[in-house]
Amino acid sequence: MSSILVTGNEQGTAVAADARTGKYLTFQLGNEEFGVRVLKVREIMGIQEITAVPQTPTHVKGVINLRGKVVPVIDLRLKFGLPPAEYTPRTCIIVTQTEGESGLILMGVIVDGVSEVLNLAASDIEDTPDFGEEVAVQYLLGMAKVKGKVKILLDIDRVLSAQDLNHLKTLLQ
Amino acid sequence: MSQATELRERIDDLALRIVLGSQESGVNMPAWVSALETIVACALQNGAAPVAAQASRILEDLKGDTGKAVDGAVLQEAMTALQQAMETQEGAPSAATQSLAQDPELLSDFVLESREHLANLETQLLILERDPHDSEALHSVFRSFHTIKGLAGFLELWEIQKLAHDVESVLDRARNSELTVTAAAIDVILASADYVRRWLNHLESGLQKRPSEAPARDEDLLCRVAGISSAESASAAPHTELGKLAAAVETSTESAAPASELPPKTTRLRETMAVKVNTAKLDYLVDMAGEMVIAQALVRHDPELGQIKTPRLQRNLAQLNRITAELQRTAMAMRLVPIGSLFRKMARPVRDLSRQFGKTVELKTEGDDIELDRTIAEELGDPLMHMVRNSLDHGIESPAERKAHGKSESAVLLLKAQHQAGQILVEISDDGRGLNREKIVAKAIEKGLIASGETLSDNEIYNLVFRPGFSTASQVTNVSGRGVGMDVVQLHISKLRGRIEIRSTPGQGASFVLKLPLTLAIIDGLVVGVGKERYIVPLFAIREMFRPREQTIWTVQERAEMALVRGSLLPVLRLYRKFGVKPRSEDPLQSVLVVAEVESQRFCLLVDELIGKQEVVIKSLGETFRDVTGLAGGAILGDGRVGLILDLDRLFMDKTGDAGR
Repeated sequence: MSSILVTGNEQGTAVAADARTGKYLTFQLGNEEFGVRVLKVREIMGIQEITAVPQTPTHVKGVINLRGKVVPVIDLRLKFGLPPAEYTPRTCIIVTQTEGESGLILMGVIVDGVSEVLNLAASDIEDTPDFGEEVAVQYLLGMAKVKGKVKILLDIDRVLSAQDLNHLKTLLQ
Repeated sequence: MSQATELRERIDDLALRIVLGSQESGVNMPAWVSALETIVACALQNGAAPVAAQASRILEDLKGDTGKAVDGAVLQEAMTALQQAMETQEGAPSAATQSLAQDPELLSDFVLESREHLANLETQLLILERDPHDSEALHSVFRSFHTIKGLAGFLELWEIQKLAHDVESVLDRARNSELTVTAAAIDVILASADYVRRWLNHLESGLQKRPSEAPARDEDLLCRVAGISSAESASAAPHTELGKLAAAVETSTESAAPASELPPKTTRLRETMAVKVNTAKLDYLVDMAGEMVIAQALVRHDPELGQIKTPRLQRNLAQLNRITAELQRTAMAMRLVPIGSLFRKMARPVRDLSRQFGKTVELKTEGDDIELDRTIAEELGDPLMHMVRNSLDHGIESPAERKAHGKSESAVLLLKAQHQAGQILVEISDDGRGLNREKIVAKAIEKGLIASGETLSDNEIYNLVFRPGFSTASQVTNVSGRGVGMDVVQLHISKLRGRIEIRSTPGQGASFVLKLPLTLAIIDGLVVGVGKERYIVPLFAIREMFRPREQTIWTVQERAEMALVRGSLLPVLRLYRKFGVKPRSEDPLQSVLVVAEVESQRFCLLVDELIGKQEVVIKSLGETFRDVTGLAGGAILGDGRVGLILDLDRLFMDKTGDAGR
């Protein structure tokens, strides 16, 4: 599915917009609102104790126990190069499922807080504007305008598989 | 086959006559026609449709040509075509046999499955014998024969297929209440089952390369099977009389065969019954059982709940505790298989190889019913085979040599499994010549593995055979020891978290002892604390642990650290440094040293504290942490948090790497 979305995104066709419609879970990160496809979300849980794993990048916080499964957790703030924030009761772990090399991978993503689930129509979604080379648009599905606010739609598969997302920093600042 | 041969002879005979006939002036038309007619009938009966078609075509030509002069050349051509058709016909079954022989797996599956069906239908037939109207039993027997028929047809085992088909037809009529299953009928059906079983035995012997003769086609049996339905339908009118008779026979057989014979049959069937389950589902079940144990522990140790002291609650909690533990154990046990099947797989190679080497070897097995993890059993096959082969090749002497040494000509190769201290010991031992110390040492020096002046213990010398490069193919047999790829064997075994020990007495034999964990899914671990983190050290690798004193730790060139443990200097790895964790104290005197052994080399881990021993279920960290070294996986600890399991091999390798720099 992601490949369809990505091709569509690059070409910016109407088909692409259609493929992007659907339900999105929105969450906050810093001052921005982001959205991920609800289909990619396995569950949302409060922040809990995380076992640190050595020799990993700083944004990889470690692993948690999700009902008997060991699930890695990343801090999306750190992944996007934002300053780290204290974890509050609002802080959430969104457990996502993405396509890995050997089947589905569960991965926890720490965000500042989840907002709501939005049903986005094609007319709500716009292609990502060209930010120049400083912003890596390939991680974005597009931008959604809802009630006068802009939500950034993330292609979570790509976000999580990407090694370095520092480019996104520029977009967020 | 005899019919096919007959057909073939007839065709050849006719062809000869035609050739002769066309040369002579007198054409014996009627004789040819009658011969051809016989061929057509014979071919049809034999199921050789192409041959029959070809023959009838010639027949038509002949008959149509009666008025005209018969063209000998045309006839000859036609006969050649007929002979070719016959050849293809004969070729087909033989090709089929070959394709079967090429797929022993399918065949052995068939044998296995058919045996189950036979066992089932026998039980059901006996039920049917007591109650001929038990439609469930009847259906079951029908289904079993139907399956056997289908499978046999698929594998082109025509004899079985034919019989099963006939029996199935009879049963089908019985199902449709067209005939009653009499005691006589059951006899015949049981005889049919026996016949199928003889075939299965033959097939299995074929698979095991044992000589065996294919059961002859039992015409009598086929007639009897056919007889059941015809007899019944012929005497359909005086049905009541026959019914009475049948009932009489039934009661007599019932009293003759005591009911007590039935239960053992049923239980035997139950034992062999198995369900194929997706391993992912099984793993999930194990996960859930583990989670339940943790959840249960959390509930039980809940402080608020702890204040309630009613006996009823305590009793119920204890009950819950017992059940969850039992559930977890059962879930784990589902992964276990008896080692016997693995041992039995060695029988054929032992037989083949001992012939090849011209040695007499008797294979003995012990502890066949010891169970071990399915994954381990699968992974163990290759190393076991390797060691068996080594033993036969190098360990066991030729009969003449054995006789010269006063041993019996027939050698004994023993495969033995036993439980010991939470591990499984698998022993491969022979009464051959044992490992030759001198030759191993010579070889090791030649290969540059050891210096010539070194003095080594027996154990160290035997362990040399595990060194990679010890036996690089060339003239391994010069070394009486077992050089062939033992490093690979050891690699396999250590992947299974097992160890190999060699015991050898010159002239008396050698034995390789594999020490394997019960399961790959669980390890006994020592939970250690470093700063806020907890790690699990596999217990099997731990030799000792102690709090260091002032004279224990020494620095080497201000960089590497060594600890003096029982007179030997061992490298020290400070875990907090390796993992970048802030320790409680950097002073070794406030910490604990854990001495671990990896590949017969020891080293020390410096940790903050020992928390306790725990049996943990190993979970993969997944591809996200593929690049992390020094971790073997994760495990859910008693409080539901994840603990990381140390990969001591990698830690040690990295450690020695550091020291070298």
